[in-house]
Amino acid sequence: NGAAVSRVRGSQPGQDSSRWHVVRKFLGLISSHNIPVYLIDPLILALVDKDIEQIRSSPDGPSPECKYFCAPRDFTTFALLDKTWKHEVGLFRTAEKMGFQWLKVINKDPRLDGMDDLSGMEIPLHYIFKLASHAIHLVVFYERSGNFLWHGPLRLKHHMDRKFVPFRKLHFGRYPGAFEKPELLLVSIDDLKVQIPKNPSSFLEEVSHSRFLECRYREARAFFQLYPDDTSLDAVEFRKKAKSLLHLATQTLNSLGVKFWLSSGTCLGWYRQCNVIPHSKDVDLGIFIRDYKADIIPAFQKAGLPLKHKFGKVEDSLELSFQGEDDVKLDIFFFYEEDDHIWNGGTQAKSGKKFKYLFPKFTLCWTEFVELKVHVPCETLQYVEANYGPEWKVPVKAWDWKSSPSNVQDNGVWPIDEWDNVIQIY
Amino acid sequence: MDEWKPNPAAKPHKKRSWYLAWKYKLMNQRALRKLCQTGAVLFLLVTVIVNIKLILDTRRAAYEEEEESAQDYDDEMLNVEVPRHPVNNKKVLDVEVYSSRSKVYVAVDGTTVLEDEAREQGRGIHVIVLNQATGHVMAKRVFDTYSPHEDEAMVLFLNMVARGRILIFTIKDEGSFHLKETAKNVLKSLGSQVAPFLSWRDMWTFVGKKGGEVYGEKHAKSPALSTWGDPVLLKTEVHLTSVEDAECHWPDTELNRRRKRFCSKVEGYGSVCSCKDPTPIEFNPDPLKNNKVFDVPVAVIAGNRPNYLYRMLRSLLSAQGVNPQMITVFIDGYYEEPMDVVELFGLSGIQHTPISIKNARVSQHYKASLTATFNLFPDAKFAVVLEEDLDISVDFFSFLSQSIHLLEEDESLYCISAWNDQGYEHTAEDPSLLYRVETMPGLGWVLRKSLYKDELEPKWPTPEKLWDWDMWMRMPEQRKGRECIIPDISRSYHFGIVGLNMNGYFHEAYFKKHKFNTVPNVQLKNVESLRKDNYETEIHRLLGEAEVLDHSKNPCEDSFVPDTEGRVYVMFIRMEQEADFTTWTQLAKCLHIWDLDVRGNHKGLWRLFRKKNHFLVVGVPASPYSSKKPSSVTPIYMEPPAKEEGAAAVPAVAAAEQT
Repeated sequence: NGAAVSRVRGSQPGQDSSRWHVVRKFLGLISSHNIPVYLIDPLILALVDKDIEQIRSSPDGPSPECKYFCAPRDFTTFALLDKTWKHEVGLFRTAEKMGFQWLKVINKDPRLDGMDDLSGMEIPLHYIFKLASHAIHLVVFYERSGNFLWHGPLRLKHHMDRKFVPFRKLHFGRYPGAFEKPELLLVSIDDLKVQIPKNPSSFLEEVSHSRFLECRYREARAFFQLYPDDTSLDAVEFRKKAKSLLHLATQTLNSLGVKFWLSSGTCLGWYRQCNVIPHSKDVDLGIFIRDYKADIIPAFQKAGLPLKHKFGKVEDSLELSFQGEDDVKLDIFFFYEEDDHIWNGGTQAKSGKKFKYLFPKFTLCWTEFVELKVHVPCETLQYVEANYGPEWKVPVKAWDWKSSPSNVQDNGVWPIDEWDNVIQIY
Repeated sequence: MDEWKPNPAAKPHKKRSWYLAWKYKLMNQRALRKLCQTGAVLFLLVTVIVNIKLILDTRRAAYEEEEESAQDYDDEMLNVEVPRHPVNNKKVLDVEVYSSRSKVYVAVDGTTVLEDEAREQGRGIHVIVLNQATGHVMAKRVFDTYSPHEDEAMVLFLNMVARGRILIFTIKDEGSFHLKETAKNVLKSLGSQVAPFLSWRDMWTFVGKKGGEVYGEKHAKSPALSTWGDPVLLKTEVHLTSVEDAECHWPDTELNRRRKRFCSKVEGYGSVCSCKDPTPIEFNPDPLKNNKVFDVPVAVIAGNRPNYLYRMLRSLLSAQGVNPQMITVFIDGYYEEPMDVVELFGLSGIQHTPISIKNARVSQHYKASLTATFNLFPDAKFAVVLEEDLDISVDFFSFLSQSIHLLEEDESLYCISAWNDQGYEHTAEDPSLLYRVETMPGLGWVLRKSLYKDELEPKWPTPEKLWDWDMWMRMPEQRKGRECIIPDISRSYHFGIVGLNMNGYFHEAYFKKHKFNTVPNVQLKNVESLRKDNYETEIHRLLGEAEVLDHSKNPCEDSFVPDTEGRVYVMFIRMEQEADFTTWTQLAKCLHIWDLDVRGNHKGLWRLFRKKNHFLVVGVPASPYSSKKPSSVTPIYMEPPAKEEGAAAVPAVAAAEQT
């Protein structure tokens, strides 16, 4: 590869090829140990994305200049799927022989966190390989229930060298993250063969919204200590139905590309007990009204969920309800954003009364729930408290959606002439 | 993480202070002892409470901090590092060994490493092995040499201990009654002067280096048959050697580094720690062609029987088609030694804080292990479930690879099991033959994820229900009429003798003579015939071909079956309704197969081999196959045993149900 090196070096007097060299050495290291990594560096992928057509069409073509790997930056970030390698110690010995300094960040395995009192070995979450002034950040991805990939947060332990690299500049590790399993593409960029996500722009989009929240398993256990779980046959059956309804809804909305989150009782169930609340009787989802699509209703009908009722209209207080298997209902609330708050509406069918439920503004995070990757409000506590008040930790079986929520407001009455449109019951 | 630490303060040690020495001098003064005990109990209670509160507080504080510092890269949560005990540079260890009727203890450098004063327990010779370089405890055993054969186990153990290790012996209560010449000679060869003359109720302590010097020995003769020798307390010093001298000089490879770590910590595993030609810890069995179970996770359920686990993992890792990356060992409790075994083989292990007691504890451990398995391998559709006291057949994975598609496609199946309850040396013959049975044998089986996630996990018995997980799984509410596929010749072998529901007699009677396949690459016969409907066709074909045996003869007699080979015979027994197993149980008893409850049946039909002939038993009229009975044949009826015998059998049944 010497010829390529000198050519790259020679052709790029302005660019710094030292980063390119570090990347090349690193790729050599991992390929000598048969470890499949792929590039996830946002900076480089953004550059790659601009030329993606050309790169795709000539996967082996020589590059005239060092366009990507010489770009100024402190790190280059790669991903490693945990299950594709065997944690050989040999890798690190070779790395050292090649002049790399390396650092490993390990922590608890979140896949065992939900379990009563299991303690496994800690798992590697991040590796950093440093050579001279450049560093490679290797993020370890794990498969989680719900058919997605997860990476952990990067937390330094006490004895670790805080100045090993400027950690705050890392692109991954501030929070844990959730990603789809990417399709990969082997390309040659700057004369280096490397795997990249097949669609860099959608991957980059994912990066910006990847923050993951772990369920609060410890608190959930404490909750069940206070209020033992209902394991009656009815409860088991309801949970099973709610789970399959949620799976169906997720599949349907994902295929439409409509973003949604767990709302109301379903969100409370996740936050408080990491499970479906057995006496809740329905599944609740939230959708921003700006993400509304007219084909939501036909899509659910096609999936075997007939529309049960439709209250409100797109401009105001829209709410859809679909009939799942045996009395389990899917409620979809549409949320309207104002300057300082977000709200959704409610309608009482017999009186035409309107209600408004106010929430503080929130952003969305990924979580794992009943073997699904779904969104929840990142600021979950505020969301749940707005809805259920400070006593949300205490289970309530008698719940009236018109009076029980602590964030409910009267919002007038629908004009009679609109009733046919805004109150539709099937 | 990977470097070897010579002296981690591994075992939780209790500090032995001057006060204990003083306490032993005052042993016989009752009132004072009582006072001391009460004081100690109170002190303990207070300490426990204070500690629990402290733990809770730290946990809460730590968690709050974690939430707040989520934005930061500092791991505040884990910065409460346990301060390491300074490595002891002293070259001499003080050793105290105490032997008496009701209590033994061993203290090393003021730290108690053994203390046993439980009543009616721990009788015999206690042996402790110390590392000669670090002084830490590598093995602790007790051999009840008052009882037969325990001295043989002790000899076996002592022979496995590496040369140079420090051995400490002490007798509690009685240790000589069944201490035979061979054992005494071994002790003598270790340098004991007293061992050859040890007799009834003598007290004895001994400290020596294997193959080297003696550090001390004390003995107190029992003056009369009815009394014990006086307590003896041996205080001595042991000179430590350098770490290099205590270790073997294996070539520096990743495997040998694991071996080194293991061998410097624990003893009693024989040739795996031999300096010369140690036994391998990596096996590289032949891969399987078209292996359908390569990506199926394997959960090994273990307790604190590290020697069993060692044997089990060896056989598992030697089976063709094994994928070590899919194996997780789940250890019920914070036991170190099983974890050491797991790490020796480079596998991953998970410890489980024990909840509940006995059977319920096992049951909760199973649940946690199964849930964790499907969390760790979210793509898996199945899991293989194994236990630490099983040998795994060389073609275990090949057997599963050939049959697993049935479990995926046939909804009427509950599991695939490697174990045939009725597959004894004299009743199993054909390694390529499979059966469908209405019972769930366990002992090496495959669980479908959907069955676990949708049905079993949500209603798994809670800890306060003291149920056995396997008995629960066999209940009709769970099994719902589904069946398991089993081989005629088992692909696992149950070698455990010590266990929750196990003892030597029980094992001898019901497990020892079980047949175990040792033939590699067995091609299973006609796997498709195991599907629900196909199987009925197959049974009808078999019954059509079967010769009806002479029902006037005694079915327990060998002559009941002609001296042929490779034939198919059928007999009919009386079975009034589906749950009437009166005659079957008697027949099972006289055939010396599993008779403690009903196993291996399929619609009132049992299939086994007698004298190398396929032997079918049909229960008439309950079985749908009753129509195959010629009208001239009267089904055989066998009397249940007389009342008192029945009563005697009850405890045995209770024991069996928990197996």
